Amino acid sequence: MLKVKISQLSPNPLQINIECASGELHALVGPSGSGKTSVLRTIAGLSNASLGKIECGNQTWFEANDLQGVIKSLSPAERTCGFLFQQYALFPHLTALENVCIPLQNSGFELAKRKTIALDWLRQMGIADLAQRMPHELSGGQQQRVALARALAKKPSALLLDEPFSAIDAPTRQSLYKILAELRKELNIPILLVTHDLREADLLADRITVIDQGLGLQTAAPQVLFQKPRNSRVAELVGIGNLFEGVFTSGKLTWNQSSHHFDVVDKGKIPPGTPVAWVIPADGLSLHDESNVNSIEAYVEQMSTLGQIAVIQLLVNNAAHTITWEASAAEVRRLGLEVGKNTHVEIDGNKIHIMPLRPINDPRRFTS
Amino acid sequence: MDAILLSLKLALWTLVLILPFGVWVAHSLQRMGKSKSWIEASLALPLVLPPTVLGYYLLVGLGGKSFFGVPLVFSFTGILIASLIVNLPFAIQPIQRAFEAINPEIIEAAQVSGLSNWQIFRLIELPLAWKGITSAAVLTFAHTLGEFGVVLMVGGAIPGETKTVSIAIYDKVQSFDATGAGALSLLLLVISLVAIAVSYGIFGQSPSRQKRWRV
Repeated sequence: MLKVKISQLSPNPLQINIECASGELHALVGPSGSGKTSVLRTIAGLSNASLGKIECGNQTWFEANDLQGVIKSLSPAERTCGFLFQQYALFPHLTALENVCIPLQNSGFELAKRKTIALDWLRQMGIADLAQRMPHELSGGQQQRVALARALAKKPSALLLDEPFSAIDAPTRQSLYKILAELRKELNIPILLVTHDLREADLLADRITVIDQGLGLQTAAPQVLFQKPRNSRVAELVGIGNLFEGVFTSGKLTWNQSSHHFDVVDKGKIPPGTPVAWVIPADGLSLHDESNVNSIEAYVEQMSTLGQIAVIQLLVNNAAHTITWEASAAEVRRLGLEVGKNTHVEIDGNKIHIMPLRPINDPRRFTS
Repeated sequence: MDAILLSLKLALWTLVLILPFGVWVAHSLQRMGKSKSWIEASLALPLVLPPTVLGYYLLVGLGGKSFFGVPLVFSFTGILIASLIVNLPFAIQPIQRAFEAINPEIIEAAQVSGLSNWQIFRLIELPLAWKGITSAAVLTFAHTLGEFGVVLMVGGAIPGETKTVSIAIYDKVQSFDATGAGALSLLLLVISLVAIAVSYGIFGQSPSRQKRWRV
């Protein structure tokens, strides 16, 4: 188990609380400059936070508090973590095999044994035949495999991956995803993955922590995150399309700039008259030929077809809002949809998720 | 012949003493904060100072009541100290550039791989800065062979003790020995050409045939 609770005000603000269990792959997601990499560097000991505690297994790597300052801070060499850099950071003067031998330097094994272990790791990465190549003779994907073997060679107690796939072409990335997925089962250590690619996080991670401006906004399983973002900023960051604002008063949501109301279930925590953000997932939307009591008149503004899937942009409330709707090509044919045509959209109030406009720890969160 | 041997001896001793010092200073400069530019500037001073001025201060410093207690002027030790000071910028700057050119992420990768600072220096930084160290060695060696002003000021021209090749050339020209001066000049020219060729990598190896480092 890797437990990270750190905060600092400078050089850039950081306030993060993450727990990553053994065998878990935990993704840190956020826009560039949000502090994801700083978190990883702080865990590895390449930079220090001003307050907090970092624990891995039963070892404390870092501890500092207001009263005593830094109580404990192990050097990067003493923290038994593997680190994968975005640009691989292989030692350019050493062969692939020698690169993987470096972390075994202080293992107490003889050179021959160290080389055998290193070669085993390269074999596991599927590149044993490239052992004698220099880094500049390898492709990006091959270099990252060497780097991964190097990060794992000393049997780390946690693995930290800093945007490891962002400099690699798509097909190679797929094969690295596969390697990572296989390793995960085998290694059974906490793995933290920093990425700005949500699809990658969704694909690989058990849980995702969304970071913005150094602040951990929400930690949740990918499905939960996409369906129930904690606030409008999280919804925006995870790219939820149908995000709107409204006012919530005891079970009734009024859509801003429109006359529509929805009955929404809530836990009674929100004061009456609160401005809120709300999202509606794809399965809460339906389109109809004919109007009914609950439907809203909509105008098809744009339609793009990708194979069997069509993405439709609908203007509603006198063009005040745009709703994005995804449907199969068959559905589009059935409804006879085309650009410029009018239709009726129905929003299922039970599927609406409402949330504060601002992060939960922002004192202004209930004001618009 | 004496002059050639003496020049070679001086150049070799300078090299042996200045290279470890140069590597240490260049490496330490990387981790320095504000004081760095002051130290860099003072280390570069011998580049711009007229040799006679530097020679004068060394003459005063190493003379009668030298820092070392005994007078060192007009002796081999004296010109060796002078040569070390004059060569500081030639030795330090190329090594410093070479250390600076190493991607900091590579050093961080070595840290998280569990290497100690000494291991990082020995296994990663030193091999990667090797080109800079070679070029510092070549420049220092060639420059010491040709040094004239400071050596003359501090050492005079005592045959076998302080009379180096450059001073011998000057002496021969003064005594109208054109053949002798020509021969010695040609020798220095060849050495300088080789030195420049080496430091510009004209005899350099292709990357795949670079020196192998054992881990």
